[in-house]
Amino acid sequence: MIRLQNVRKVFNADKANEFVAIEGVNLSIDSHGATVLKGPSGSGKTTLLSILGCMARPTSGRIMLKEREITSLPERFLTEVRRETFGIVFQQFNLIKGITALENVMLPAYPNGEKHASLKKRAMELLDLLNLIGKAFSKVEWLSGGEAQRIAIARALINNPAIIIADEPTAHLDTRLSREFMEIMRQLKKEGKTLLIASHDPIVYDSTVIDRIVEIRDGKIVSSGDIP
Amino acid sequence: MGAIEKQRNILDFTLSSLGRRKGKNIALVVVYTFVIFLLASVLFFTHSLKKEAFLILQDAPEMTVQRLLAGRQDLIPTHYIDTIRQIRGVQSVAPRLWGYYYDAMSGANYTLMVNAELNDRAGEIIIGNGVSMRSMSGKRNQALRRNDIIPFKTYDGSVLTLKVRGLLPFASELVTADLILVSEADFRKLFSIANDQATDLVLNVRNAKELSTIAAKITQIHPDTRPILREEILRTYDAVFDWRGGVIFMVLSGVFFAFIILAWDKATGLSAEEKREIGILKAIGWETSDILLMKFWEGSAVSMAAFFMGIFLAYLHIFLASSILFEPVLKGWSVLYPSFRLTPYISVYHIATLFFLTVIPYTVVTIVPSWRSATIDPDSVMRM
Repeated sequence: MIRLQNVRKVFNADKANEFVAIEGVNLSIDSHGATVLKGPSGSGKTTLLSILGCMARPTSGRIMLKEREITSLPERFLTEVRRETFGIVFQQFNLIKGITALENVMLPAYPNGEKHASLKKRAMELLDLLNLIGKAFSKVEWLSGGEAQRIAIARALINNPAIIIADEPTAHLDTRLSREFMEIMRQLKKEGKTLLIASHDPIVYDSTVIDRIVEIRDGKIVSSGDIP
Repeated sequence: MGAIEKQRNILDFTLSSLGRRKGKNIALVVVYTFVIFLLASVLFFTHSLKKEAFLILQDAPEMTVQRLLAGRQDLIPTHYIDTIRQIRGVQSVAPRLWGYYYDAMSGANYTLMVNAELNDRAGEIIIGNGVSMRSMSGKRNQALRRNDIIPFKTYDGSVLTLKVRGLLPFASELVTADLILVSEADFRKLFSIANDQATDLVLNVRNAKELSTIAAKITQIHPDTRPILREEILRTYDAVFDWRGGVIFMVLSGVFFAFIILAWDKATGLSAEEKREIGILKAIGWETSDILLMKFWEGSAVSMAAFFMGIFLAYLHIFLASSILFEPVLKGWSVLYPSFRLTPYISVYHIATLFFLTVIPYTVVTIVPSWRSATIDPDSVMRM
């Protein structure tokens, strides 16, 4: 589904503080599977996830999405690809404060021009699915960590994307909530979503939901085998 | 349909965003409203004064002939009428009697004018609204009514009492506010003016193009006269009001620049929270143009609200509150008007000018910094 060919990402190129985050990465991600990018802090997991999720462009190399080269797509088209193909759950959840949970869930779909009533209905269904219907009209700053993350998941699902990307999703959750998160991921995988998770939490990479672990160190892939 | 729904959704989000930054936005709207209020007040005020002046002069005679003595206006002998009437092109010549009367009781100057309709009703007067509001008879807080008696002090100190016959309709208060119409006999008695003299002469001509030729002929026959054309008075009024309006604009330009600095600072200085939000919106699939659209709606909502509130307050200030803030600067010709209310005249052109000078620049100013933030890479939000 996604193929990276010899991808390299350099920050502050040609400056004294030049930093190579990703070096010579070749990686193929298949549909309907669950892949974990595993590695210590600073290994390049988040950068690789950003490139896979069309949020950043590589300095060199190519990205193919469903056999379509998207490396050099203009920003407008890349945004469209990102909106339609990826749902993203951030490490800090990144919900917008001051508005309700429901509005947060609806936000990614606003540029699509869908009727407000039908969009609201879909958002409510998602909140219901994640047992958050009672929190729909609560401001997000009033929610607990687990609730905030489920709102972030609902937001990631609103455009019905094929791929869910999660960056360190359990970093701010306790063990019970982390297991709950993995259960939600199991459900999504069952529904046919492709999961891409960056994590160095054993609850994530040891979970039975995960099909494949890609290990990264110093910006390079050190192993990328399937779990038997 | 999709495009309209998209606009609606983004507008919806923008309005709830405005509510989230109440302090900043309320401060902006208050200052913005104040600036619009001041600018619109000046525009309304000068425009209405000019319009009033135009109304006065609309019915004024095409030419007025005054007599000068040692460079000052003096009474004109009525026998000048006969010689002026004989000039070709002159349709009619009539004497006018008018002057000012200072009333020590109310501390105001009133304009006294002879009206032919009162000539067979000596002892009676018709008064303007300003006169009726501030009683000359000592009943300070009571309006004058029909049949009230007003005492006037004549040239030799004796008292002449005149009865109010009625009030003038106030189509234009600038014309009628301080006006008292009297009979010719009473006017001459008050100021001791001989029967063969008048304040000035007014004349109408058959062809307006001949006005300057006729004026030249009058000064040739009577070198001690000064003919004044209506067009000249109109031009003078225009220049005076424009100049007064200009002075106020100069004073207000400081306020305006202060506003620009504030608007620039408030509107352009995106807080870290706002930048973070823009990053999130980009990461979840908003395009740069969607974010600019949101900022456009935000700027529009703030500036339109302030614009309409400012215009509304300026209207109240000028037309209902007697322009209390800059009456002394803009009118400032005498203690003439005890109470004065302008008739509302609003020019669409002025409103449009004000709109293009305030709302449009503000909206642009709010978009520029957002555009800079909106072009950042969406992955920056991954590292927050």
